[in-house]
Amino acid sequence: MTDSSQSSDQFKEMHSFMAMLQNLDVGLVVLDREYKIQLWNNFMESHSGLHPYEVREQVLFDAFPEINRDWFCHKAESVFQLNTRAFTTWEQRPYLFKFKNYRPITGSAQFMYQNITIIPLDSSVGVVEKIGIIVYDVTDVAVNRIELNAVNNELKRLSRTDKLTGLYNRGYWEDCLAKEFKRAQRTEQVSTLVMFDIDHFKKVNDKYGHPAGDAAIKNTADLLIMNMRETDVAGRYGGEEYTVLLIGTTAEQSMTFVERLRKSIEDSVVQYQDQKFKYTVSLGVAELTKNIKSHSEWIESADQALYQSKENGRNCATIYK
Amino acid sequence: MNQSVSVSITEDQRDCYQEISNVAMGQAADLLARLLGVKVILPIPVVNLIEVNELRMALSGIENSDTVSGVCQGFIGNAISGEALLIFNDTSFSDISSLLQYKGVLDAALELELLMDVANILIGACLRGIGEQLDVNFSQGHPVVLGQHVNLNDLLKSDNYRWTKTLAIEINYKIEGYDINCDLLILFTEDAIDVLNRKVDYLLED
Amino acid sequence: MATPVLICDDSSFARKQMARALPKNWDVEITFACNGEEAIQVIKEGKGEVVFLDLTMPVMDGYETLAYIKKNELNACVIVVSGDIQPEARAEVTQLGALEFIKKPISTDKAAEVLTKFGIL
Repeated sequence: MTDSSQSSDQFKEMHSFMAMLQNLDVGLVVLDREYKIQLWNNFMESHSGLHPYEVREQVLFDAFPEINRDWFCHKAESVFQLNTRAFTTWEQRPYLFKFKNYRPITGSAQFMYQNITIIPLDSSVGVVEKIGIIVYDVTDVAVNRIELNAVNNELKRLSRTDKLTGLYNRGYWEDCLAKEFKRAQRTEQVSTLVMFDIDHFKKVNDKYGHPAGDAAIKNTADLLIMNMRETDVAGRYGGEEYTVLLIGTTAEQSMTFVERLRKSIEDSVVQYQDQKFKYTVSLGVAELTKNIKSHSEWIESADQALYQSKENGRNCATIYK
Repeated sequence: MNQSVSVSITEDQRDCYQEISNVAMGQAADLLARLLGVKVILPIPVVNLIEVNELRMALSGIENSDTVSGVCQGFIGNAISGEALLIFNDTSFSDISSLLQYKGVLDAALELELLMDVANILIGACLRGIGEQLDVNFSQGHPVVLGQHVNLNDLLKSDNYRWTKTLAIEINYKIEGYDINCDLLILFTEDAIDVLNRKVDYLLED
Repeated sequence: MATPVLICDDSSFARKQMARALPKNWDVEITFACNGEEAIQVIKEGKGEVVFLDLTMPVMDGYETLAYIKKNELNACVIVVSGDIQPEARAEVTQLGALEFIKKPISTDKAAEVLTKFGIL
């Protein structure tokens, strides 16, 4: 075989090899040390609408201003300097190149989610002179995962919530209380717990029926939500029992809220079908002190104060001493 | 899946895996040290043949009460396949972010960046180190985020492991003067153990 | 006369690999040790004129061994063979009196090069 026929064979082989790379359904880009584009395959051309001759020798960040330069360089420099691969996932950044999602029927995403691999090239002498970027379209995976997460979050929310009132249920609220107890102990910050229940709730049920009782429970929760701050943590503790955790608040300070809540419930009128009725609540307030050794002791303290309010004639609040 | 044949490793083979890991881990640590500008404290790698459901026990460097974040990455070469897991104690992130000189608030997104940066270095270098010694070229799949701020049992939970036994190499990296604690686990599939044993026997031959 | 050589590493595979990497034409009498304590005993018996020493070992590690050799002025040329290739490790062992620091895995060529460099071979 002559030299020229050998090299022409090699050229053909190289050509078919390049054709294969061109047709891969992943993006291939080669950058030099100055981040100038050296190779741009068919995938990149199709999705960007830019011909290889348009981008060749252009600095990546000039051709694609949407790329976060600092972020990309941080990854790429470790590839140049340490001669290792770098991977980034769509969870870090949805995409490197902002390509439109090209499937109008099956695609629900606005843009193409991408996983990126950056590989060191030309390292035969141990110095990385170029890097290769491989761009994978992972839109399907990403969209499925995002939808799954949304469903899981909704399930999580539902498992924490009391259906009737929309407040936290007892189990989740107690978890919150236990966490706050530990946090407040560690940071020595003040925190106050309020417990309250509906006065003579049994009479409401007996007189107006259970659905009317439920309406009162719902009404109480609504007024509670209306009167509390965003940082307060409220739960439905039992049938007609409620709890609120006031973070960063002393017992004295909490009395403004407690009185406002008591008054707004006293003033409210519940209407169920043709019936209208009024009711009141009794409240117990317990600030976290050094004497309280566990979160259940804290609940007990508030409960004792609540009992005192009942003894004092109901429709009032008592601070645990 | 093949019928489960009992796989095992001899004491000599285990010693050889440990030494190979030791060398690979050193190479990975050197890169990490250069990236972060710190001294990495090298542990003695732990090599064990374990049931996959005992994975939790293999992670001796992490306490039960800690919340963790982790990524995993599959690899394959010469019919030897497995997965690498990098698990970070969540308390490590603030120190890593200052070492990597990332600016901005340390939120879940930034923590993920840090996790991926360290995973890229440690997993890549370890696999390359092991591969060079065993004369295998491992190709790596894309990393997958296992979870952020979860407890370890939730991170590792899976009801349908396809393989039961795994050759597990645990490397617990610590960094001098910093509160950084991460566990790198290289897990080889049951099918790979036979191939690996043969490679190691070749190295052990006189 | 054969040169008394000591190979100290906790891994039996690493000890074997090291022994295999020694030049074939070098007349040696090899003794093995699994940790620093054993190594010091062997050196005291005069069987460790040239020592290939690992760093991470149980009982007594390479750093402690080097320090002991230096403090007690034992007669041994120590070449550290280590998987820990961070610059600090090299600096520290050189300061502790090691002749040279070789990265694992050891190769025959590297072993011969180092031995020649220090006129041992």
